[in-house]
Amino acid sequence: MASQTPAVVMDNGTGFSKLGFAGNDSPSFVFPTAIATKGPGGGGGTGSGRPAVAQKPSYLTGGAGPAGHLSAKRGTEDLDYFIGDEAIAQASGPGYGIDYPIRHGQVENWDHMERFWQSSIFKYLRVEPEDHYFLLTEPPLNPPESRENTAEIMFESFNCAGLYIAVQAVLALAASWTSSKVTDRSLTGTVIDSGDGVTHVIPVAEGYVIGSSIKSIPIAGRDITYFVQSLLRDRGEPDSSLKTAEQIKEQFCYVCPDVVKEFTRFDREPERFQKYVVEKLGGKQATVDVGYEQFLAPEIFFNPEIYSSDFLTPLPTVVDQVIQSSPIDVRRGLYKNIVLSGGSTLYKDFGRRLQRDIRHLVENRIHASEVRSGGVKSGGLEVQVITHKRQRHGPWYGGSLLGQTPEFRSYCHTKAEYDEIGPSIVRRFALLGGPGT
Amino acid sequence: MPAYHSAFLRESDVRVIGNFSLPNLRTRTRGPAYTLPQLPPNVSELDVDPDSEYYDILDETLVLFRANTLFRNFEIKGPADRVLIYGILWISECLGKVKPTMSRRDAEKALNSAALDHFALPGDPGFPLNALYQAPRDRTEADLLRQYISQMRQELALRLTNRLYADESGKPSKWWLSFQKRRFMGKSL
Repeated sequence: MASQTPAVVMDNGTGFSKLGFAGNDSPSFVFPTAIATKGPGGGGGTGSGRPAVAQKPSYLTGGAGPAGHLSAKRGTEDLDYFIGDEAIAQASGPGYGIDYPIRHGQVENWDHMERFWQSSIFKYLRVEPEDHYFLLTEPPLNPPESRENTAEIMFESFNCAGLYIAVQAVLALAASWTSSKVTDRSLTGTVIDSGDGVTHVIPVAEGYVIGSSIKSIPIAGRDITYFVQSLLRDRGEPDSSLKTAEQIKEQFCYVCPDVVKEFTRFDREPERFQKYVVEKLGGKQATVDVGYEQFLAPEIFFNPEIYSSDFLTPLPTVVDQVIQSSPIDVRRGLYKNIVLSGGSTLYKDFGRRLQRDIRHLVENRIHASEVRSGGVKSGGLEVQVITHKRQRHGPWYGGSLLGQTPEFRSYCHTKAEYDEIGPSIVRRFALLGGPGT
Repeated sequence: MPAYHSAFLRESDVRVIGNFSLPNLRTRTRGPAYTLPQLPPNVSELDVDPDSEYYDILDETLVLFRANTLFRNFEIKGPADRVLIYGILWISECLGKVKPTMSRRDAEKALNSAALDHFALPGDPGFPLNALYQAPRDRTEADLLRQYISQMRQELALRLTNRLYADESGKPSKWWLSFQKRRFMGKSL
């Protein structure tokens, strides 16, 4: 076993990709799932009549260097691309167009995705795929065809040694095992996954996603940033760019127990108002006062009404509805293990407020049914929201955790198996980390 | 947790005109409201204990204003909520009249004259919430209601200026002025 190479864990999300090796604490690379290719029409940079200038002699362009227009003639233009932060930097200049190959969690552009993986493996992780097993993630309700496409690319283009595709929500549950509140390592629970674009509430029973009960909420990190920005603008702060709003969101925001009481606390303790200094171009500085947005911004999860006019259901209510629509025999487990995952769940006291609000809903319902049944006492229902240290990259960390176990390789499909049976082999995977391991 | 309701809904022995209640006020302005005792000197107006005998619905309105004005929907649970709504909309109106450069004195003047301006009563064609408020039954009731609301407007404007100029800078608080553009229930007076 000592000679075993660590598994490669890749979690490609809509916004960010997390890459690294199983057994590590945190991913080695986190960058936007973006790819910059030569613009549409064959020569995006030639619009002005000049030949496109190769931006950087990346090793991928075969060392073509400044002769970018020559390399295009030799048919190597499909090697001329950038991914991640580089892609975003390149796309702001001429010649390159940016594309986000993953939309709503699912791969939309397989050609770009293949190139994205190629660069991820060879340029960033710098591994030989023949020597490593790969653990990839997929969103809940991913069509099996997408899995097959993924397997085709991984085995036929990259010739990787073995492959396992896990559902992000299940990995997020596994990541919560690091919390001291988790005593039994069960794969039953409700995952609240809030990233940049959308928030999902996903019930998982014994490692299997209850697809019919998943709900998503169109409120997530980006909306919080917009809301902070609108508050800054209302006040006429010297700088209200999205970047500033995002920084303020990440540095200052927290969840309060009660908005009215929090306003009063700000009146009583003026030191709660903070200042944020923005470095502007040319060395200038601007000071932005940070006030009520500290607690109002994350409040849009709990009172969406203050931000959006078309989506009005608070997050705790959605979680309650999701669990209530799940099979009755798993509901207790789902209430007991509500796991947070994703960057927008990191606000201080987010879990505590969520737990309080859900508990409130549950207790009201129990009380009502006690009254209806004429004085029969209910045994009560435990509601527990798990906050843990690995929330930010929850699915990746869960993958790292499971990918380092000695059994991991036996759950994977190998190249040999793929060659024998074909892509349909990846339609089924044995449940990793489930009972019996 | 939707918008906040008035705690004065619980009080039952309050006069009601139409479906607008006339709770007691702590005020020195003249009018028909029963007056509560003035605050003792050691209690700050910004921080009145909700359980004390001095606490009136205007204190509550000022406390709830910043939270409630963010909401667009509000379920009216009783006559006191209508007072609360009127108060919140009136505060919005006042904030719209205060400019960031105004001194305390100018703001007081502007708000006081606005408070004494002619205003629409429930049932009048210019009143924005006629769907939710009943008109008074006769002239006497209308007069009483007008005097009460006028008293409320003056007292609220006065207390609002105290909050706006709570710090010693001589400028209105930007934290309060940032609520100028928000419209509680999408309405304005």
